[in-house]
Amino acid sequence: MTGQTSKPRDLKAISPWQRLLVLTMATFTIAPFAPLIIQSLAFRWAWPNILPTVWWHEQRERSPFPLAWDYVFSPSSRVGEATINTLGIGIAVTLLCLLICLPAARVLAQRNFHGKSQLEFLIALPLLLPEAAIGIALLMIFIALGLAGTYAGVIVVHLIPTIPYMVRMLTAVYQGHGTEAEDHARILGANRSQIFFRVTLPMILPGVIAGCLFTFLVSTNLFLLTFFIGQGHIITLPTLLFAKISGGALDATGAGIALIASIPGIILLIFTDRFIRNYPLAE
Amino acid sequence: MPKALSAHSNISASPAFMQNLRDIAEITPLLVVLLGLFGGAVVLGILQSFGYAPWFGINEFPTTQYFERLWFSSDFWVSLGLTLYYGFAATLIGLVISVPLSIALSKKFKSSRLFGALTRLPLMVPYTVGIALALVMLGNGGLFSRISAGLGLIDDPSQFVRVLKSHWGYGIIAVYVWKQVPFMTLTLSAVLARKGEDTVEAAMVLGASSRQIFWRVTLPQIMPGIVSASLICFAFNIGAFEAPLILGGGYPDTLPVLAWRYFQDANYAFQLQGMAVVVSLALVSGVFLGAYLLGYRRWERARGRV
Repeated sequence: MTGQTSKPRDLKAISPWQRLLVLTMATFTIAPFAPLIIQSLAFRWAWPNILPTVWWHEQRERSPFPLAWDYVFSPSSRVGEATINTLGIGIAVTLLCLLICLPAARVLAQRNFHGKSQLEFLIALPLLLPEAAIGIALLMIFIALGLAGTYAGVIVVHLIPTIPYMVRMLTAVYQGHGTEAEDHARILGANRSQIFFRVTLPMILPGVIAGCLFTFLVSTNLFLLTFFIGQGHIITLPTLLFAKISGGALDATGAGIALIASIPGIILLIFTDRFIRNYPLAE
Repeated sequence: MPKALSAHSNISASPAFMQNLRDIAEITPLLVVLLGLFGGAVVLGILQSFGYAPWFGINEFPTTQYFERLWFSSDFWVSLGLTLYYGFAATLIGLVISVPLSIALSKKFKSSRLFGALTRLPLMVPYTVGIALALVMLGNGGLFSRISAGLGLIDDPSQFVRVLKSHWGYGIIAVYVWKQVPFMTLTLSAVLARKGEDTVEAAMVLGASSRQIFWRVTLPQIMPGIVSASLICFAFNIGAFEAPLILGGGYPDTLPVLAWRYFQDANYAFQLQGMAVVVSLALVSGVFLGAYLLGYRRWERARGRV
């Protein structure tokens, strides 16, 4: 009689209020993208028309390609550079974060020691202090160290908001599978690297993938720390979009850049949702 | 003595000592990064806000003049009030939506996975995209303004109600809620999935009403998730910079924007003033965090869980 054994019911199985809530939230989430897409394809969109006055394809002979997208894909928009930066920094941060957190998570999951709860609080602290406070104080240090405005500086500062999630997800995985399999392998004469690559890693792999995906996600979406530490020299998709809309208005090219900045997240959502779905991000 | 050691202590040479050494070696990189980055930032921030900045030729340590100048100006308190208002309002609205949403999505209906994935989209895109969406929906030339013109309510963009660029911060709160409901819902859904439906079904069999089940069974179960998710979102909201800067009402700004303006000033001495803003912000968030955790502990103890 548990939820798993009963057959999935259709949407009408939940109460009308819950149905209304789910549908409203889905609309609230998705619907705003419609005017964004329309805006990026409009040639002219005068107020108060709900749809553009002139669509781009009505002006085909003047511009064979939607104007906004023509600009977005041209080198002068720097979208290509920002995309490469965003993905490259994301991958570097993910690998570095994994390297730092994987051994620490094993210790946290399998050992008991004095000050463990204090250490766990310290690890969660970057999420609980305002990002602006950390970012500005770090900027002063990074300027002194010559790290401000460099890739190294941005990658290191991205560790701050990603480490808490990575440690949490990896610790949960290590706690889930215990140490029996490793003990057996050790008794059977496997050496340390064999144990790690043949026994431990395959067992914790789903958790490692989930942690890496979420770290990558946080890094690619990060604005404030990139903006502060990057000093305008390192352009990522979020900072490029910020520069475009910081005046408080959104034109067709801004709409195009916003759509480009959403693409990594949409791809991750489609292909990796099942990895991330079942991990408590905070508790 | 760690439990895992007992199984193989007779195999390796001096297992306990070696194992401890290895544990320490494995946790050191994390400690170095956390203490180096985080501890460094905290120490430097506090030193600088008390007047220690020899690299600008300023060394008045210890002086409280920067805090005094800040705390005795009424603008600071307005800024603090705005910062806290945006943070509280967005976190509260987010919770009110995501608690029932996660419960609804935990019931397995035919398209629950699809709806779950759809409502998770904002988690995957940057805040700046959310801000762009707010501009295109809520701005004076935005979709809602066009719709109200279509309904004959207004006949000029400037007549549209000031949703953005107002100190009420509807736009800021809308972006925070849009972005954070998925985070809260995902956290709560994971907690709900692990707890299972057994206790809810037991309560149902014993004749509890759905209201009783919510308040007496489900809510206490997901409370740890609610506490940490709302803490993280609140801390983020009061430290966020881009949404208040673009969608806010301008001067007086929220504290992060105020601090950034001090840092962008050509006069280096203002950076110390900015650091005093940053330290004040961290202090305020620390106080609220501590009070919230204390209240939660007391609540748990009253329920006899701790």
